[in-house]
Amino acid sequence: MDAMLRGFRERGLSYLIVGPFAIVLAFPFYVMVITAFKQQRDFYDLSHSPYWFHKGPTLSNARFLFNETQYTTWLRNTVIVGVVVVLITLVLAVPAGYALARLSGKLGQSVGVGIFLTYLVPPTLLFLPLFSVITQLDRQTSRFLHFHVRGSIWSLVLVYPSFTVPFATWLLMGFFKTIPRELEDAALIDGASRLGTLVRIVFPISVPGILTVVIFSFSLVVNEFVYAFTFISASTHRTLSTGVYTDLIRGDLPQWGAIMVASLIPSIPLALLYNTFLDRFIAGFTGGAFR
Amino acid sequence: MEALAASRPRGRRWTNVLERPSVLASVLISPAVVFILALVGGPLALAIYLSFTNAIGGSLHGKWIGLGNFRHEWTNPAFQDAVWHTFLFTVISQAIVLVVAGLLAHALLKQFPGKWLLRFLILLPWAAPLPLSLMGWTWIFDTTYSIINWTLQHLHLVSTVSPPQWLAQPRLAMGSVIAVHAWRIIPFATVIFLAGLASIPKEVDDAAAIDGATGLRKFWSVSLPLQLPIATVALLFGIVFTATDMAVVYILTNGGPPPSDATEMVTTWAYKTGIESGSLGAGAAISLFLLPVLAVVAIGMLIFARRAEVT
Amino acid sequence: MASSDDPSRREGRYDRRELIRRAGAAGISIGVAGSGFGQAFYGPLRFKGRWLKGDLTIIQWAHFVPAYDKWFTDVWSKNWGQKNDVQVKVDLILNTLLPARAAAEAASGSGHDLFFNLSPQAQFEDQVINHVEIVQEVQHKVGKIGRLAKRATYNPKTKKWFAFSDNYVPDPVVWRHDYWNGVGIAPSTWDNVRKAAPKLKAAGHPIGIGQSAELDSNMALIAFMMCFGAYVQDAKHRVTIKSKHTIEAVKFMADIFQSGETDEIFGWTPASNNNFIYSGKGSMILNAISATRTPEDLGLPFADQLYIYPIPKGPVRRLGLEHVMGSYSIWKFAQNIAAAKQFMADLEINYKDAFVASKFYNFPTFPGALPYKKIQKLAAADTHKPRGKYQILTTIAQKYTVNPGYPGYTNAAFSEVFGKFLIPKMFAQVSQGKLSAADAVSAADHDFKDIYTKWRKLGKI
Repeated sequence: MDAMLRGFRERGLSYLIVGPFAIVLAFPFYVMVITAFKQQRDFYDLSHSPYWFHKGPTLSNARFLFNETQYTTWLRNTVIVGVVVVLITLVLAVPAGYALARLSGKLGQSVGVGIFLTYLVPPTLLFLPLFSVITQLDRQTSRFLHFHVRGSIWSLVLVYPSFTVPFATWLLMGFFKTIPRELEDAALIDGASRLGTLVRIVFPISVPGILTVVIFSFSLVVNEFVYAFTFISASTHRTLSTGVYTDLIRGDLPQWGAIMVASLIPSIPLALLYNTFLDRFIAGFTGGAFR
Repeated sequence: MEALAASRPRGRRWTNVLERPSVLASVLISPAVVFILALVGGPLALAIYLSFTNAIGGSLHGKWIGLGNFRHEWTNPAFQDAVWHTFLFTVISQAIVLVVAGLLAHALLKQFPGKWLLRFLILLPWAAPLPLSLMGWTWIFDTTYSIINWTLQHLHLVSTVSPPQWLAQPRLAMGSVIAVHAWRIIPFATVIFLAGLASIPKEVDDAAAIDGATGLRKFWSVSLPLQLPIATVALLFGIVFTATDMAVVYILTNGGPPPSDATEMVTTWAYKTGIESGSLGAGAAISLFLLPVLAVVAIGMLIFARRAEVT
Repeated sequence: MASSDDPSRREGRYDRRELIRRAGAAGISIGVAGSGFGQAFYGPLRFKGRWLKGDLTIIQWAHFVPAYDKWFTDVWSKNWGQKNDVQVKVDLILNTLLPARAAAEAASGSGHDLFFNLSPQAQFEDQVINHVEIVQEVQHKVGKIGRLAKRATYNPKTKKWFAFSDNYVPDPVVWRHDYWNGVGIAPSTWDNVRKAAPKLKAAGHPIGIGQSAELDSNMALIAFMMCFGAYVQDAKHRVTIKSKHTIEAVKFMADIFQSGETDEIFGWTPASNNNFIYSGKGSMILNAISATRTPEDLGLPFADQLYIYPIPKGPVRRLGLEHVMGSYSIWKFAQNIAAAKQFMADLEINYKDAFVASKFYNFPTFPGALPYKKIQKLAAADTHKPRGKYQILTTIAQKYTVNPGYPGYTNAAFSEVFGKFLIPKMFAQVSQGKLSAADAVSAADHDFKDIYTKWRKLGKI
């Protein structure tokens, strides 16, 4: 009886804490949902409640978004950029993180901190010089690539790792440090090579860490905005963050309904995705390397 | 260990070379380092050069004026205000994030019905692409159509003609950007704290229970110290991110409202000076100001986190 | 927006072909330039349906009238391209993002052939060509350039045309006839506005002249100042902001704010004053006709009650600015300068279609391209109520519209004052009681003089 009451109290406390915050955090999305499906005349009318539909919901905003704008292209571009940048980040940061955690001692510490310090540089400082770098690169490569890097999403793919890699390296460095040395030492004693140990023993265990980097890097890419609107101007090459902002605001008139639809479509799947991975990622921390 | 390695058959020589820790380390680190040097180091050097010139418009060179830009901005009240606002913005929003994320992480540790759904709602601000969710916020704060004002007006708590202007009144504007920024970071911080909490080995939990430490005492003497390293790192990332990211302020208020420009941050001021007004050198100088400050803060916090590590 | 059969959709293939085309275009451009600029490629669409040899890239704002953009990309650019053997590619972007984009293109020495902005970009004078040939070509065909455009795109000191403006937008006052009738006043003078302000606010319908860091506030307040005889600079480009006229203007506006407006005007974006009207709350704003066209399109119940007038008269005069001024710059490093020049010239010479496609928003900067009488006829035929209300636009355009920087030219120093929103700041300081009128004006004077000195040193004014 006593335990049951304590159980209720603990759960009640959980609801009491999590509930209100969940409502506050999700509230803007409720507003977005309503506005997304509201008729234009409805939401410009102040006498109508913004919490529900007065004239009935409509799909016209969504139709406008999909038929009259390049929205699906932007979605596709964002996904491509996200996936490729995450891959590049992993390829660069996982080995680097491991090396800094295990193999470099004192020098490793300093290099690690140095890498982290590059994360401190604000994008507003870098974006003009970077634009120049991209242009120079474009000049040199467009001839044999038969293709312009500048103005395409590949310019972003090239530039985004500059802020995901320092962050990821740093995260992984910390993560690898928590894996007990004994595991690798055991393998080395058994005659495995260092490289082999890395591939066969360490990486499988570091799945939670890698998953973390994947999620964080992907979210950084999807949220980025300053480089995206500087480097890309053609509507067909835009990503979500700039396409919605530039093509759905005409002169002095934002297309609010369409903007809300545009915002909801990536948010919900991504949140579902993150929510699913979260359990695995946390389980990795409790199980796995921590017997 | 080295002796054993040395005694291995000398068949494949290149892999033997990779056995040496220093060589393997360099091979593993160099791609990342090269990449960062090329895409961050190079442009950074260029930006530093620019800050010492009077470059204007879009040209990437100008006349050398030494510390002229720095001196001019240091005494510029607009810049000084921007620094103060950035400090307020960062400290207050991160304090909120720390407390809320800490609470949420604790509450989300155990299982309870509906947890998956509630967690989904909590993750939404982080999952939504930022420029899009910010547009949602501008609508929520709109001077005419704000849903908050509509609600308050219908509850007869504020006037119909002159409701609070969430982005147009200086104090409210600062509060709004702080709130929105915290809103956006909380899910991220909660996840980091959850990971930290989850990584506390069960043995510690059990030991604490045996010692009779429960509830608040357990929190204070066990959970908190163990969480300190990860909390510090989370806080550090939060601070760096807040100080260097201009998206929230740019989209919500663009540094306004005039004349106080109550939400002008160092990042938006640098952008206005360097890009919108064309004084490139000055803009670079302003952006650079953040670098040493953040570096000092970062190193300080990292040392603190290292010391706080409980093995 | 790119049309649905725009080859750029077939990305990989297009870009390869684009490259080969560029090599060809280089040859053609040299040929055209060498053969003398005056040749207009008019005639049948000789190149329709074929791969076009030349290339022309344009970036401009997303027009508030979507029909204009459709006309521009799908009709005008396409036809022009087929007549002139040039593939025209138009990129649209939100206007607030144009300065950053321009800076990036200038810095990297590579970008669009034609770069648009809503005000002439005097600060890029060194990185753009001299646009004199386009002006001459158009004047040759339709007559002299309007004084407004000349004062906005020409630098008398360096004798360089640093931009070519194809259109400007007159800035009327948009007001609710029913509300003002209710208080028995009309906004024909600023005095009337001040008298009506408290009454309108009491009725729940305040006035909305923005004092925010955005374009509409800038235009409205500078125009307001001119009605009081206050100017940022004089004809010789000396800073003249510090005068008793400015002090009077600032005090007057503070009065209007305190009695007839609400705090929201300090946090507005260019869309906000429109929303102010669309919600039915606002009684008066200074804005282009997007504020009347949208209610018509949305079928809002009070669309018929939205009247437009010239700017109210101040104690000294009645004078306003254009709301925005479409101006294109051609970078020195543009890939296809010849085609860019020809495109602009042809657009301006044939401006009637643009005018109509923009629903009377865009007025041509060369009056001869579409005489005012013709505009009036078109406006008279507009069926929205009250009938013929758009005819007043020609009066506003002819009599009450001058360039920003009047009585001087729109130079780089003025553009910087404009770009930093220093005028709204000055007004806001007094309206919010933070500074006395005299102090605010002195502070502004100090700031402006700094900026003007800097540009004078650079030899631009």
